[in-house]
Amino acid sequence: MPNLPHNEFCGSPESVITRRGFFGGVATGAAGLTAANMTLLDVLQEPAFAEELKIRDKRVILLWLAGGASQLETFDPKPGRPTGGPYRAIQTSVPGVQVSELMPHLAQRLNHTAIIRSLNTHIGDHGGAATVMHLGRRSEAALKLPDLGAMISKELVRADSKVPDYVNFYTATEGRYSGVGTSGFLGSRHAPMFLTTESKPENLTRLESVSAVDHQQRADLRDLLSRRFARGRQSAALASHNEAYARVRGLMSSEKLFDISDEPQSMRDKYGPTLFGEQALVARRLIEAGTPFVKVSRAWWDSHGQNFETHLELVSELDVVMSGLVDDLQDRGLLDHTLVLTLSEFGRTPKINPSLGRDHFPSAWSISLTGCGIKGGAVYGKTDDDGQTVVDGEMGAAEVFATIFSALGIDHQKEYHVGSRPVPLTDPGTEAVAEVLA
Amino acid sequence: MWQALDVGKPTFRLSFGDLAMKCVVVCMLVLLGWAARLSAELLLPAECSIPEVVDLCIDARLQESDTIPALPADDATLVRRTTLDLVGRFPTVREVRDYLSSEAATKRVEMVDRLFRSPTFVRHQANELNMVLTHSDSDMTGYLRQAISEQHSWEQIFRELMSGEVTGADQFLKTRVQDLDRLANDTSVIFFGVNISCAQCHDHPLVTEWTQAHFYGMKSFFNRTFENGGFLGERDYGLVKYKTTAGEEITADMVFLTGSVVEEPDVVEPNDEQKKAEEAVLKEAKEKKEPPPKPSFSRREQLIDVALREGENAYFSQAIINRVWYRLFGWGLVMPLDQLHAENPASHPELLEWLARDLVAHQYDLQRLVRGLVLSRAYARSSRWEGESYPPRELYAVVNVRPLTRHQYATSLWLSSTSPDYLSGDLSAEQFEQRIGTIEAGAHGFAELIEDPTGDFQISVTEALLLNNSEQVASDFLRDAGDSLVGKLKAIQDTNVLFDTAVWNVLLRSPDEEERTALTNFIAQRQENRVGACQHLVWALLTSSECRFNY
Repeated sequence: MPNLPHNEFCGSPESVITRRGFFGGVATGAAGLTAANMTLLDVLQEPAFAEELKIRDKRVILLWLAGGASQLETFDPKPGRPTGGPYRAIQTSVPGVQVSELMPHLAQRLNHTAIIRSLNTHIGDHGGAATVMHLGRRSEAALKLPDLGAMISKELVRADSKVPDYVNFYTATEGRYSGVGTSGFLGSRHAPMFLTTESKPENLTRLESVSAVDHQQRADLRDLLSRRFARGRQSAALASHNEAYARVRGLMSSEKLFDISDEPQSMRDKYGPTLFGEQALVARRLIEAGTPFVKVSRAWWDSHGQNFETHLELVSELDVVMSGLVDDLQDRGLLDHTLVLTLSEFGRTPKINPSLGRDHFPSAWSISLTGCGIKGGAVYGKTDDDGQTVVDGEMGAAEVFATIFSALGIDHQKEYHVGSRPVPLTDPGTEAVAEVLA
Repeated sequence: MWQALDVGKPTFRLSFGDLAMKCVVVCMLVLLGWAARLSAELLLPAECSIPEVVDLCIDARLQESDTIPALPADDATLVRRTTLDLVGRFPTVREVRDYLSSEAATKRVEMVDRLFRSPTFVRHQANELNMVLTHSDSDMTGYLRQAISEQHSWEQIFRELMSGEVTGADQFLKTRVQDLDRLANDTSVIFFGVNISCAQCHDHPLVTEWTQAHFYGMKSFFNRTFENGGFLGERDYGLVKYKTTAGEEITADMVFLTGSVVEEPDVVEPNDEQKKAEEAVLKEAKEKKEPPPKPSFSRREQLIDVALREGENAYFSQAIINRVWYRLFGWGLVMPLDQLHAENPASHPELLEWLARDLVAHQYDLQRLVRGLVLSRAYARSSRWEGESYPPRELYAVVNVRPLTRHQYATSLWLSSTSPDYLSGDLSAEQFEQRIGTIEAGAHGFAELIEDPTGDFQISVTEALLLNNSEQVASDFLRDAGDSLVGKLKAIQDTNVLFDTAVWNVLLRSPDEEERTALTNFIAQRQENRVGACQHLVWALLTSSECRFNY
């Protein structure tokens, strides 16, 4: 049973409205929208539902910078210092805030973005760090925790959604399976569509040997047989089986979302000619059609050697892709309710090693948040002159997640339950960073 | 002394077993307040059979709660359910028809025993145990097949898994040795039904009997275990320390879940020189591809000892009873499976305790346990509830629907899409098993594409898309060939015979009127392409929920 709103409107069980009943139009059991008892206007004025509507409109695009992106070559440059490297810092559209010169386009758009410079996440190996940054906490021996995408999918998804809920692009092979894409105890319903070699999910296209009519009619026959079987039998797994099949046609029709060939060249140019750019464009198409969470991974930032060449290439690309995305979202009026994140496993050491590289560095690094619920131009946290330690506003993965949920209007202390054990979205006592929230 | 229950159960046979044992059992049962719970006085001697005890306890509680259980499942359903549970596949049309036409009073027992003797029994039980032991993320089926075919008891399997010295069984430790917290908790969950991970950072908030001392006490059995060049080793030293919520630092003892502290000889932490020497020995062992030297005192062995000891073995025996029960009934006597403790009583405490004692008395013979459970009346009820509100699962008034495992589903899809002629007709038992074996082996590929069910299982849209649109499904299950169902169907002129053949082959029953009408309409619209029509029909049957679940 989905969560019921806090008030029962008429008191009688028949007119209790569930999320499913209202948003999905599918009456389940006794719960469905009964027009006789409640007008739409009444419902919208009911605070719980107005909140629901607002939350359900939100979207997230996570740009996952796999391998550990250097904060010194992006959001927290230290020009002129021994650890600063060859690149300078440039002014941005936010007075007093500077970023690396490798991000000129984002610099001009920084008024939509908040930067957090004071992350200290302690874990320095790719697997462990990726896990913490995906789950918002350490993983546990006996509890399969869901990742950010699964939780967001659960909170924002519509019951009868015809589009995928959670899509995860990870084309490169390095680091592909670190802490990635798990719905944990939330179940398969919230598992990601994991796209690796292809940029669109498998099995979305009808086989040529099956006509559209046959595809539909054999599915109807399947449904008839299954409905008869389900009579008198109660089981969540059984219900999920039929729910999965019911979503097939909708998902098949979302296939075209993954195909950018019908976007004008000017649009494709906005995102740039790279795979990362193309996938970011697909991400916009998906969220526009209603997918609540899309993760686009770009690997491999792990520059133990040749740090400056690597970041010249990757940061320049990120600059073009993310600016293109932000512009596109703004033009379409989507930026207000889309949250764009850049996250990574950790940052990179201020100390430059003999291979002209920087190594893993979780002690003082940066992330960015743009759009929905974010106070553009805010900068939270400070590192020392060389970027060795956090001197102000130290925080960890839990605070990042609390801030993300808060920006989306989701209560980050809301609890799931596994058996009798409560599992809040973020660990108890975690506070969101109010300074970056609008 | 033995009275009949008024549920129509026949009187027990008078048994002449161990009088002392009976007295102890009687006293224990009375002390447990069990007699007070029932409307009729009832006493269970140890010599009762497993199905008798199961049904007595289940029926007693049903009576107590004024619930009339579902009727027995029809024969075809019972054959399907039993075949799936014992050998991991659908029965063939021939197997079901033979059962239906038999009038022998003992046919159910004979069917069960026939399935136990089948080679597929070993393979299926190995798959099921593999799921329990590995969460399907590694493969111990090689070792498990051998253990099951040699009829190793659960005690023996436990010893082999904990020793780290048996090839194949050592995977249990090896896959977890890098994370000793996980090893300790997995062992506790799997073998003792206790998830104490909550008690890692503070005393368990809900369960007073589990404290940090218990968590670190369990961890202490494993803290000296390590891996060296592919071999498992155990040190002579090493203590677990932890901090309480009050900030006190404590050195943990080995403490079993019952609270029993295991004594050990004092250890002296080696000095730097000794550690260097130890490292050199280990390095040499690695190079020579030999196991490291055994410790003079093994903490892991202490765990084996204490867990199996009389007076301490309730966790070990009850946990496996609960797991086997859960597998066969779809709902454990204790739920969740990893919350076996005083504050979470079983739905039928006397039943759980009797079964656990019975298991211990019969040397942890799991096959005997499975046989007993599948011969009970509770196991054989219908899964369709005809009444008003669906009863609570813990009453076992109606059988639970259970999703097939990946191997069950894949094998059964292959079986169902194979022509009935291939598996019926005049085959010797050996030839039949051989053909089944080939089908089973061929199904492994498809099985990899399906998820194994875990608790609260949800079937994903990925599976639905796979069945809808993949080439592989079309070519594996819908092919028009001499040995395939589609091949057989396309040649059948009489549509009623066609429907019967198709529905029987997949669902092991005849279509009812509404289905017949729908099928007739479906075929009528596809006169020009008979093969296509048959393929779509078979597809609808194979992807129906009826085919996806054990019911």
